[in-house]
Amino acid sequence: MKPVLLIAVNFVREQRWPIFVLLLWVLLLAFLGLFSDIRRQREDLLFVFKQVAVYVIAFSVFFGGSAIYNERKTRRILAVLSKSVARYQYLSGLVLGVTIASAIYCFALGITGSWTLGEAGFPASQVWFLMLCLLAACMLAGTVALTFSTFLNPFFAAGATAAVLGLPALASQTIAPQWQYAIPVYPLAVTIMKSSFTSPGGAFWPPLGLAVVETLVFWALSARIFSLVDIAVAVE
Amino acid sequence: MATVLEFESVTKEYRSFPSRRRLRALDSFTLRVEAGEIFGFLGPNGAGKSTAIHLAMGFMRATSGGGHMLGKPFGDAHARRRVGFLAENVALYHRRSERLVRFYGALNGMGGTHLAKRAREVLTGVGLQDQAKRNVGKFSRGMLQRAGLAQALVNDPELLILDEPTSALDPLARVTVREILLKAREAGKTIFLSSHLLSEVELVCDRVAVLHRGRLVRLGRTEDLLQSTEKTEIVARGIATSAFTGAVAQDGVVSFSVPARTQRAVLERVWNLGGEVVSVNPVRRSLEEIFLEVTSDRESSVGEGRQ
Repeated sequence: MKPVLLIAVNFVREQRWPIFVLLLWVLLLAFLGLFSDIRRQREDLLFVFKQVAVYVIAFSVFFGGSAIYNERKTRRILAVLSKSVARYQYLSGLVLGVTIASAIYCFALGITGSWTLGEAGFPASQVWFLMLCLLAACMLAGTVALTFSTFLNPFFAAGATAAVLGLPALASQTIAPQWQYAIPVYPLAVTIMKSSFTSPGGAFWPPLGLAVVETLVFWALSARIFSLVDIAVAVE
Repeated sequence: MATVLEFESVTKEYRSFPSRRRLRALDSFTLRVEAGEIFGFLGPNGAGKSTAIHLAMGFMRATSGGGHMLGKPFGDAHARRRVGFLAENVALYHRRSERLVRFYGALNGMGGTHLAKRAREVLTGVGLQDQAKRNVGKFSRGMLQRAGLAQALVNDPELLILDEPTSALDPLARVTVREILLKAREAGKTIFLSSHLLSEVELVCDRVAVLHRGRLVRLGRTEDLLQSTEKTEIVARGIATSAFTGAVAQDGVVSFSVPARTQRAVLERVWNLGGEVVSVNPVRRSLEEIFLEVTSDRESSVGEGRQ
């Protein structure tokens, strides 16, 4: 477990600037809360909150899709994997790192959201449930991207991830609504996007649990693929 | 003596994309490295040295064949706990050098005050004790290589695998690295050293292997390889330099080299000319001569059927 934690913390440290940039969006929400009339502009606040929340899903794809590529390109991965670190532990560290990076963001957004939206009448408990949904969506999206990045470059990995996350959403619109739960990033994002002051929504847990289970499945799949990859070969 | 590193008929092919053309980097490569020796691993660029090392470390998988490192199959994470590795073109995270060494030590299961003490020790050992608080990102290439060596040494490894450890170092730092290697051998460690600096290899290595185009073309004890069996140097007095081709007079004696197979006839000729033989020794060659010899005369024969 120790190498996994070390790799995860190191990943967050290496991604500190993108995380910082992300947190600036949360800061924007906090500024809006400080300098606007919360009661009168509550719909605007909720709109910004939803937008800022959904950005992090895209960022988690970016984090997951580029992690292995960057490490291989800089050859830093060699010094790490020359230690007593198995490939699956390395992958677990990256999954945990993406989760921690997303969790930092979700926590900051949760604090800011429960303060600003809470004052405008949105239930604080629902803000935290939405943050859990967001974190689960980020975990799954990041892990899917990581899986593709074990054998594709970040550009193609992002494309493949978008397809895997988007196709069930498309199928739910055209074939049957149940398809959205095949890869539940879409229903989790919809839970966030559809919440409103008049109808904040309840705590619907199944997509959240499904996202956690699928994260584990994709983690196992990525670990299996990564164990077969020649990591010392140039990635360009 | 126990075998520490063992390649068993390893072949590694790379496939180019999108043509799927095959490039054979290692071809039925077999080698055994024994415990307690410093083993020199030589070869021109593209010979397959780094590929062999990466296979041993588990960074890639062999197309066929396999091997063992410290008694475990290549790629075993537990075996790597007892191994120190320095890659060619070392790349490390940008953080303070002492913290960096501690990070790599912690990845190997070390911790607490022992790790902190060991990190300081190895940084002192590679001459970076004054740079412990400095960010590695600001290091020169030579300093970076020394930091890389420190992270390789932090777990006090039984087997040290070094890929071009002295390539970016100044002469003074090279001497330091040489001393570290010799000290490690005295402590019973095994060192697998890939290098282009043949003079360094000649100075420290007990055995040497030369790899060319993925094949092992020379293997032996360094001393044995340097002793030529093909030429003999004869030193004599009381003869004219004109009597033998290439003879040189110095300090009252004449010295010249002859093919070993003609040695007896030449000695008789010296005596017939009234001369006195002072010494007869096999010619000592440099590793560079051997390297050039084995890597040039196999260009055509070994190259066939590689791609």
